Amino acid sequence: MGPDLWNRTYYPSGSEASPLIKPWYLVDAEGQTLGRLATMVAMHLRGKTVATYQPSMDMGAYVVIVNAEKVVVSGNKSTQKVYTRHTGRPGSRKEETFQKLQARIPERIVELAVRGMLPKGRLGRHLFTHLKVYKGAAHPHSAQKPADITAKINKNAATAVAA
Amino acid sequence: MTAKDKLFKMAKGFRGRSKNCYRIAKQSVEKALQYAYRDRKQKKRDMRSLWIQRVNAGSKEHGVPYSKLIYGLHNQNVQINRKMLSELAMYEPYSFKALVDQVKWMRGDAAQPAAQQAAQM
Repeated sequence: MGPDLWNRTYYPSGSEASPLIKPWYLVDAEGQTLGRLATMVAMHLRGKTVATYQPSMDMGAYVVIVNAEKVVVSGNKSTQKVYTRHTGRPGSRKEETFQKLQARIPERIVELAVRGMLPKGRLGRHLFTHLKVYKGAAHPHSAQKPADITAKINKNAATAVAA
Repeated sequence: MTAKDKLFKMAKGFRGRSKNCYRIAKQSVEKALQYAYRDRKQKKRDMRSLWIQRVNAGSKEHGVPYSKLIYGLHNQNVQINRKMLSELAMYEPYSFKALVDQVKWMRGDAAQPAAQQAAQM
């Protein structure tokens, strides 16, 4: 059919998605609500906070999350939220509550939350590799000097983003 | 050029037998033409959606979400369309910021921009 001559909307070039120029962000998960944290992180990973957003390309940033074991859920979810997995064989459904999983592998909780908010597909899986989650406050990415964006988490849906 | 040649020309790049065998190619090409018809109309929708997402990202950087930006611009009779707003947000960040500041002033969040003060005098 040929190229579209009337569409001159900007399409970023491949070099703009290069990992060398991607910004790095740091989030401290201590005391943060799980879902609200994950939403903000997913937006940054996807690239939706940047005016050059293109859904078919990776225009997002790298995000480092520290203190993953201190993330919080409201209500009774700490004892009632269940994480399930299945190996594929009959009868091998395993489940675990939030508390138990947080004691065992705390990074997985944050990773699952963010992965559920990223697109599912080749690009989504690639975006997920830009997320780095750590237990405790230390992270090995100090050379990238990640900027702290913990303050941007939307604490309460009722109070909208700074009008 | 026969009708078959034309069909195979349109089937270039298809997977498997859809590019080589007439009966299969005919179905694939028909479907492709249907999608092309539908998507010529959808493309206009998709482009607008992309512009809106870009403007949203750009204006949230300045603290104003898209909905409030559009409301504010509409109230002040700024008729720049979304396509151009998105291009402004990318290429002319200062002009875009000026638009966002205009909206902030209208909503009472910020002082009147200097340029507008000068224009009013």
